[in-house]
Amino acid sequence: MDGLLALSNDLAAAVEHAGRAVVGVNGRRRLGSTGLHWRAGLIVTADHTVEVDEDVTVTAPDGRTLAATVAGRDPAIDLAVLRVDAGELPVAEIATEPARVGHIVLALGRGPRASWGVVSALGDGQRRGAEAGELMSLDLTLYPGFSGGPLVDTRGRVVGVTTSGAARHFQVAIPAAIVNRVLDELARRGRIPRAYLGVGTQSVRLSDALRQRLGTDQRAAVIIVDVQPDSPASAAGLLIGDVIVSLGGARIGDPGDLRAALRPQQVGETLTVSIVRGGEPRDVRLTVGERSRRA
Amino acid sequence: MPTTLDFAALAETVRRVTVEVAGDGAALGSGVLWPRGHVVTNAHVVRRARVAVRSVDGDVLEARLLARDRDADLALLCVDGGDLPTATLADSAIVRVGSLVVAVGHPLGVRGALSAGIVHAIGPIVRGGAPWIHADVRLAPGNSGGPLADASGAVVGINAMVVGGLALAIPIARVIDFVRTARLAAP
Repeated sequence: MDGLLALSNDLAAAVEHAGRAVVGVNGRRRLGSTGLHWRAGLIVTADHTVEVDEDVTVTAPDGRTLAATVAGRDPAIDLAVLRVDAGELPVAEIATEPARVGHIVLALGRGPRASWGVVSALGDGQRRGAEAGELMSLDLTLYPGFSGGPLVDTRGRVVGVTTSGAARHFQVAIPAAIVNRVLDELARRGRIPRAYLGVGTQSVRLSDALRQRLGTDQRAAVIIVDVQPDSPASAAGLLIGDVIVSLGGARIGDPGDLRAALRPQQVGETLTVSIVRGGEPRDVRLTVGERSRRA
Repeated sequence: MPTTLDFAALAETVRRVTVEVAGDGAALGSGVLWPRGHVVTNAHVVRRARVAVRSVDGDVLEARLLARDRDADLALLCVDGGDLPTATLADSAIVRVGSLVVAVGHPLGVRGALSAGIVHAIGPIVRGGAPWIHADVRLAPGNSGGPLADASGAVVGINAMVVGGLALAIPIARVIDFVRTARLAAP
């Protein structure tokens, strides 16, 4: 079989296969976005494209309009989950292996429409903490309305969710494994909890001497400028002026890193926070709390 | 037809049936070598009754304008003399969203440049309009009138414009209709 023809047929078949579970998401006034029927009755899309909590609808591949409710949001990685009465809508096939740098991938938008390219790097170029650092950078074009749509491999298996919201200068995708963990939390708790520390922070430079002392090449960390009373941070004994270098093993270089490092599944978990207090490095144990639902 | 094909071989196949449509020494656009000594290009590429057509080998031939349809943005030229190859035309039904496609043309004066991508969507530009092939392929001025071809090198459309970063090509079925009508009108 002709190599390019075989690839061409595979790509078209991949669009068809994955496209059966691709829906349009109508959750903002302007351009609609894309979602995927990830698990039975659950549509995964990009959080920034669902601007309202009520009157959200999804458009099935056959043109039917289905009412949807917001089941949960994970704004730190730009993910929203919608609940629908899916009926006959097929559930997508989710890849069990992560995509690797160099893999040919397709991004799908409602329609379905498609663009192709390769996984260009792991990480979003901003060295975000923990799982957020596992975002994939893509060398492909995400056309208007693609946000929240699936990234699929050449067999039509979903390897991630594309979003242009989290990183303005990169085309990025959230790997399927991270989405699965968010959906597991939703199934376990009935909601997607938002992790909470109770600190206000600002970025600070780490001096050469301190870097040497810590044995790190990390150039920045965050300094605590506010500790909320009765918060996980105050319970752990964190003080204004403490410098947070890492949280649960993830480097913290700016307040964004801190938000990205806190994942829903960590609520209730006890993590090690590496801090510098009065010039002395030390580790503090901290139990991650849950932000109240109104906050 | 070769049994194995890579992008280099595919590019060569499509290049052989792509011409540069020129006038006043400056490149205006691209064209596709059609059977019976004809060349198909965009109407917006050809504005005069006589133009020069340059083959991949560098032969410059004179061409007469046989028909021009501004609404369809298609023009049919007749090349005088020359033993030129002709394009293989695809069955329009085989193009699917996701299919690999390549474009050959002379974007910004770069001769015989290849762009590769996939079919992004097939549908109208305006509600209720005729369908176009929307391709995730990077084109530039000078690609106009050139071929969009599938992975076997068969022409699936004529590149006509770029909208929102997407290449828009006139589907082959519409081009074949235009050529048939034009030949009847101008024997």
